[in-house]
Amino acid sequence: MVQVESRGPSRPTTSRPVARFDHVTKIYRGGGGVHDLTLDVQAGEVLGFLGPNGAGKTTTIRLLLDLIRPSTGTIEVFGLDSRRDSVAIRRRVGYLPGDLALYEHLSARDVLSHFAHLRGGPPWSTIRALADTLELDLERPIRSLSRGTRQKVGIVAALMGDPELLVLDEPTSGLDPLVQRQVHEMLRAAADAGHSVFLSSHILSEVAQVADRVGLIRDGRLVAVERVVDLQQHAAHLIDARLRGTPARASYATLPGVTSCTVNGHDLHLEVAGDLRPVIAALAASDLDDLSVREPSLEEVFLSFYDNVD
Amino acid sequence: MTTSTELPDSGAVGLRSISARALREERGALIGWTIGVVAFCLVMLSIFPSIHGNANFAQLLNAYPEALRKMFQVENYTTGPGYLRAEVFSFVAPLLLTLFAVLWGSDLSAGEEERRTIDLLLANPVSRRRFVLEKWLALIVGTVILAAALEIALGVIGPLFKLHVGWSRLTAEVLASWLFAVAFGTLGLSLGAATGRRGLARGVTTTLALASYLLSTLSTLVSWLRPVRNLSLWQHTLGVDPLGSGFHLDRIALVIVVTLVVGAAGLWAFDRRDLAT
Repeated sequence: MVQVESRGPSRPTTSRPVARFDHVTKIYRGGGGVHDLTLDVQAGEVLGFLGPNGAGKTTTIRLLLDLIRPSTGTIEVFGLDSRRDSVAIRRRVGYLPGDLALYEHLSARDVLSHFAHLRGGPPWSTIRALADTLELDLERPIRSLSRGTRQKVGIVAALMGDPELLVLDEPTSGLDPLVQRQVHEMLRAAADAGHSVFLSSHILSEVAQVADRVGLIRDGRLVAVERVVDLQQHAAHLIDARLRGTPARASYATLPGVTSCTVNGHDLHLEVAGDLRPVIAALAASDLDDLSVREPSLEEVFLSFYDNVD
Repeated sequence: MTTSTELPDSGAVGLRSISARALREERGALIGWTIGVVAFCLVMLSIFPSIHGNANFAQLLNAYPEALRKMFQVENYTTGPGYLRAEVFSFVAPLLLTLFAVLWGSDLSAGEEERRTIDLLLANPVSRRRFVLEKWLALIVGTVILAAALEIALGVIGPLFKLHVGWSRLTAEVLASWLFAVAFGTLGLSLGAATGRRGLARGVTTTLALASYLLSTLSTLVSWLRPVRNLSLWQHTLGVDPLGSGFHLDRIALVIVVTLVVGAAGLWAFDRRDLAT
């Protein structure tokens, strides 16, 4: 796993955050939005922003880019005001929209060179190199490209200026697993070079792979911000076992790591945090008929994590 | 071909600015409109030799009630300027310019928002004001090209069909048509920028442009419309008959000021709103 420094919402940070949401609320007339969001993105970190669709991830990201404005609260990026100094901020930010739309009549080359001109010029060699890494053909018109290929154009556009802050809304959606991994490596490389990455996702495994910290948002509210290593240590596994006999609840509930134990006839349901080996060993020694171990969903991880903390 | 370390020039125009890209994207449509305008002029000019100086035709028209002659502007129909006024500038040519300006103007900002390309565009260090101003600049350039095609078609090809009006008067009339088109194109752009809704911008702007035309034209017949006809931009542009009376600098200045105010209002509103997802 990636080396991370001690960072967390409760720990005082010495360096100034790259981006800071300070009690930001954005309410839409039709409902939705974000409520009283306070969140920092630190220098050199990958912060994953996790939540189901419609939780407020895109709203948060578009607030940062001044595409929409907060109802209350302030957003600072590089110590600058997100509204007043928006152009100066965007000069140093790379952005990939979640709902990526490109100019259909232009080629990928035209789109990227256009943005390069507007940015005052990352050299074409940089764009070329990024495109080569992702095996992106620049000559074809956008309208002939598949969703995944369009996504690659968007990723090159976000990365080409070598931005200090990358803001990516569901960056790997539509990409095949191989390219996803490449993109993750590119993001890690950016973070290792001291740049910051703020990425949203609704896929836990993606965030776990690439992020140093993860914030969970649900119904427009930030539920938690935790380091990924902490989450992984506490991540529960869900075990369903069927035994020939009737499982004795007490002999399983007391095993190390077991946070929840339910017995229903021959069926045994366990939630296990941390090391699985003691439980597996106990089950292996029993008269086992059937066994399934599954990764919990994102919601379950967070809920179990908070059960443990409490 | 692509191994150079320099940014490639993308086509003849290049996409160095938002204006350049807007014009590139509109290139096909602009060529189509230009062909349409020139074709319309050719058809109208080709009929003129049979009307030119035709006393019988003049007599026929003079038999019409004065009100109708005024409304359809068929005074001196058998002369070059009279024919142009009636057949080209009374409605169709300014309408073509205006329709092009309104359809495109309404799309310039709102279309980019509805197609959602604006998110990625404004992720670049480009202010919203620059975005709208560059789009407006593209509108100006595009309509100038179309107006120039109109002027050249009539001024160069006209004499081949015995139609002479003189460059100065023709330019005054084309300028008036162009000003009318740009004013409503700017309104379309502003409404689109202020609301993010292309259909709404097109609908409202087209309606207002037609109302402006009708108010000015009908006021020659309907006396109670006369006091309010100054609300019509048509009245201040084509309504003063630049083809017969040349440039009216005060009216030109007025229309420019109105256009700039409309544009500034659009900028102001666009700068303050949330962009659609």
